[in-house]
Amino acid sequence: MRTVALRDLRSHKVRLALTLISVVLGTAFVAGSFVFTDTLKHSFDTIFATSDKGIDTRVQAVHGYQAGVPTGLLGTLEKLPGVAAVQPRIEDDLVLVDEHGKRVDTGGAPSVGGAWQPRTRIGDPTRIVDGRAPARTGEIVINDGAASKYHLRPGEHVKIVVPNAAVQAATIVGVYHVSFDTGGYVGALFSRAQAMSLFTDGRHYTAVDLAARPGVSEQALTARVAAALPTGLEAKTGTQVRDDDAQGVANALSFVTYILLGFGIVALLVGTFIIYNTFSMIVAQRQRELALLRAIGAGRKQVRRSVTSEAFLIGLVGSGLGLGGGIGLAFGLHALLDSLNLGLPSGGLVLSTRTILISVLLGTVVTVLAASAPARRAGRTAPVAAMREEFATPTAASLRRRTALGVVVAVGGAAVTVAGATASKASAAASFTGLGLVAVCAAAMLLSPVLARWLIVPLGRVIGRPFGPVGQLARTNAVRNPRRTAATAFALTLGLVLVTGIAVIGSSMKASIDKLFADNVTADYILTTSTSVNVPPAAAVAARHVPGVASVTEIQTLRASIDGKSRIGSSVDGPLTTVMRVPLDAGSSSTAGLRMIVSHKFATDHDWTVGTRHTLSVPGVRPVTVTVGGIFKDDQLIGDWAVNGNVYRALTPQNRWSDDVALVHASKGTDLEALRANLKRVTNDFYVVNVRNRTEYQGMIASQINGLLGLLYGLLGLAIVIAILGIVNTQALSVIERRREIGMLRAVGMHRAQVRRTVYLESLFIAVFGALLGVSLGVGFGALFTRTLRGQGLGTLSIPWTQAGLFVGLAAVVGVLAAVWPGIRAARTPALTAIATP
Amino acid sequence: MTRSGTVATAPPTISAARAVDVVKLYGTGHTAVRALDHVDVELRRGEFTAIMGPSGSGKSTLMHCLAGLDTVSSGSVFIGDVELRSLSDKKMTALRRDRIGFVFQSFNLVPTLTALENITLPTAIAGRRPDPQWLDTVIDTLGLRDRLSHRPGELSGGQQQRVAVGRALAGRPEIVFGDEPTGNLDSRSSNEVLTILRTSVDRLQQTVVVVTHDPHAASYADRVLFLADGRIVDELRAPTADTVLDRMKGLEQ
Repeated sequence: MRTVALRDLRSHKVRLALTLISVVLGTAFVAGSFVFTDTLKHSFDTIFATSDKGIDTRVQAVHGYQAGVPTGLLGTLEKLPGVAAVQPRIEDDLVLVDEHGKRVDTGGAPSVGGAWQPRTRIGDPTRIVDGRAPARTGEIVINDGAASKYHLRPGEHVKIVVPNAAVQAATIVGVYHVSFDTGGYVGALFSRAQAMSLFTDGRHYTAVDLAARPGVSEQALTARVAAALPTGLEAKTGTQVRDDDAQGVANALSFVTYILLGFGIVALLVGTFIIYNTFSMIVAQRQRELALLRAIGAGRKQVRRSVTSEAFLIGLVGSGLGLGGGIGLAFGLHALLDSLNLGLPSGGLVLSTRTILISVLLGTVVTVLAASAPARRAGRTAPVAAMREEFATPTAASLRRRTALGVVVAVGGAAVTVAGATASKASAAASFTGLGLVAVCAAAMLLSPVLARWLIVPLGRVIGRPFGPVGQLARTNAVRNPRRTAATAFALTLGLVLVTGIAVIGSSMKASIDKLFADNVTADYILTTSTSVNVPPAAAVAARHVPGVASVTEIQTLRASIDGKSRIGSSVDGPLTTVMRVPLDAGSSSTAGLRMIVSHKFATDHDWTVGTRHTLSVPGVRPVTVTVGGIFKDDQLIGDWAVNGNVYRALTPQNRWSDDVALVHASKGTDLEALRANLKRVTNDFYVVNVRNRTEYQGMIASQINGLLGLLYGLLGLAIVIAILGIVNTQALSVIERRREIGMLRAVGMHRAQVRRTVYLESLFIAVFGALLGVSLGVGFGALFTRTLRGQGLGTLSIPWTQAGLFVGLAAVVGVLAAVWPGIRAARTPALTAIATP
Repeated sequence: MTRSGTVATAPPTISAARAVDVVKLYGTGHTAVRALDHVDVELRRGEFTAIMGPSGSGKSTLMHCLAGLDTVSSGSVFIGDVELRSLSDKKMTALRRDRIGFVFQSFNLVPTLTALENITLPTAIAGRRPDPQWLDTVIDTLGLRDRLSHRPGELSGGQQQRVAVGRALAGRPEIVFGDEPTGNLDSRSSNEVLTILRTSVDRLQQTVVVVTHDPHAASYADRVLFLADGRIVDELRAPTADTVLDRMKGLEQ
């Protein structure tokens, strides 16, 4: 009797551990996402509270594409009543090149240049910790974080690359301290005169900060300043400035938070099935014990409550551990992203009460909810069941209601999906398809017990054939309790829907870009940069003089207000049709002079036709009126519209002139490899320019997409881990449940290896079933989402069949691996178990 | 040891199974329980033997040891001429599969397989096809022809136990062991099952050994062995329910 009790306890421990892990993993991701977000927000709040300290009002241009605040305004602002101090800000992106000629790559962290303020009148003065302050042109100081991270020190001769100026030589003369430091951030400060010439057009400041006199509130000052501003400029309060800055960075990093949170929810959802399964089996195994309780007078409610309180405890402990795990996760993620130089601030992790409450509440509620159906079943145990002693029999409960509901949800989901697929508006299509995905997944969950029978039986016949009776037993065992099989497999299904869906979208992205390039781009070489500084126009000029170059076409991004609305389009220098195909609907593709070409969609949406005239304006600059000369078929390369590079230069501050891309067209018969070498040589002096041919350029974009996909796969891989835990759990418990049966099989002559194989195969069938369901849904919805995004450049659908097949194969392997331990346990079952009373 | 050694080299006998000086201990030291206390028994081929005894007499333990389901503490057990103690788990399993049939008290059928699949399970596990003629004979003896495609859940207790008997007989084992095979059955089903076992001995020359506490069940046997306190204390040939009951009463006094 004692061995039975001990054995029960041991299986209890395993069962507890597996259930706990699923709760822990789910809550860990939810908690982790909260901790991570809170930490980031707190750090950035602190940073901007320090860096924007003392600012009561900031004056800046309404649009980022304006030159900034005219220098002449400074005097006016100083004279306003209530103004204690006025301080101009001068800053823009730059690229630093160390004395070995190596570019300082900050990854995602900002790399900016600014002006050294000798006497700071607003906020804390900048403190030099090594060397001295810059005194003249050609001298810079850099922040201490960058100095130590990139091994820069006073006395080092470096180079500075900014968009529209020759590469500047500079000497580091000092290192200054910033109390806030983000990983990888580079801040180079110049003398004011040099900063003005590098980062502005010489007639504007980036912004102007003001401090109020004592007794004047920031609102009052801001209102007073705003009233004195010409059009095109705006005034913000200091609080707003700090909030906006912090918000801006937080938004930039929010995708990480969303992925984590989304993943936590998926993990919890997947965990729900495991918890449900575990408790179902606990209840089934303890039926005699529960019935005995009922027989000696325990009420239904009492029995139910005993199961519920077990779930509550597991939920509480699990989510408590999950919270700890989440903190660890946030820490790890922070360290990981920090090592990638994403410009994350350093600082302690923030654990808010909200995080604790939400994680623990969510984990506990999910566990208790998942266990509620089994608990109710436990309560319904008939007292007479104590007297029965039978094998685990298939659940008699009908699947009819569940299946009927599943069919209804499936029909609804399909209808919504069809609506999504046929919707004309991209946003409506995407949300309908998303809703359809959720509904179809829910339907798949409801229907999967029935699907399990339909799919596993033929599947088992095929895969199980070489294994003879072992295969047959495995197959029949797999569909023995369709609900349990469904719940086990669905964890894997859910993970694979997401993984496969993303794989389809990613693969379509790559295929679309390949097609775009194959169909439309004819350039021989493509010059771009991988930094925040674009291709300097001088680099394009240099390329033009390389022997063998027939033409260089420069394309810039032009932001301006057209007929009163802010728009983004392109501007072109050089012949367009030699480097790309521009299929036309009407007119010509020329952008010479004041001619504009417009995409078919944009023209239709705004009722523009060949010959209509439109005015492009930027505050503070003389507007330019252009005439539509041609309408091209929509494509992803040019965008909505394009004008001549001269228009760009007329509207954009000179210091920012730079090319997004310069496309090189080689003369006939030119040795392309020699040309590449020459292009590299002449652009090398600019440090930031990359020379690639079409294939290499496509490859670079593909690898960027792969990097993003890799991150998503990594996270979703954890959903698969939970699914594996689910399979281990189910198989381990099934084995315990079928001890007598396995004992009998051993008694009538089944070898241990055969017992093991039966368990492996059963697990394999369940895993492959879940994977097939998940992969087919994933492929379907990946394709549908790709369709909804066809307007955003996903014109080509590419389904990665090999990868999909690989996922199924991987699931099979995972299924077998998950069954290793339960299989070994099963094989150890002594034959006598069949005879001994349980 | 010397004794079992001499027996091991003895020429083949007509016994289907033998226990020689078998001792089975549960636990160790002071708390050790001697379930079998130097038991010698020989089960002859083609004979129906019943093992009887009061609860705790060791009758089930004796059967488990004879059938290779449990190991003995000392002494030897033979199935045919094979000494079981020396067998590896693999060989023991194969022996159970190929040479022994089992009928359990609680049927122990695989609920997901049909009656026919349950009957042919041991042969299938061995990777063999059952001899169709023999299978026909067995199925006819069982009277289950119209129930073959049913699952255990759709069969009555008696029918389930007949399927279990079929499973035991289908592989043409040298010996069939039954552990209270009628323990869970009503009297009508009991008679059916016992008649089938009897028939298998008479017509198919099967060797059958059952453990039972029911004198009526024992009356179907050719020979009844009585166990008490781990020893064979009596034996009866050509028993009737009454003579068995008398002996049992004697044992319990």
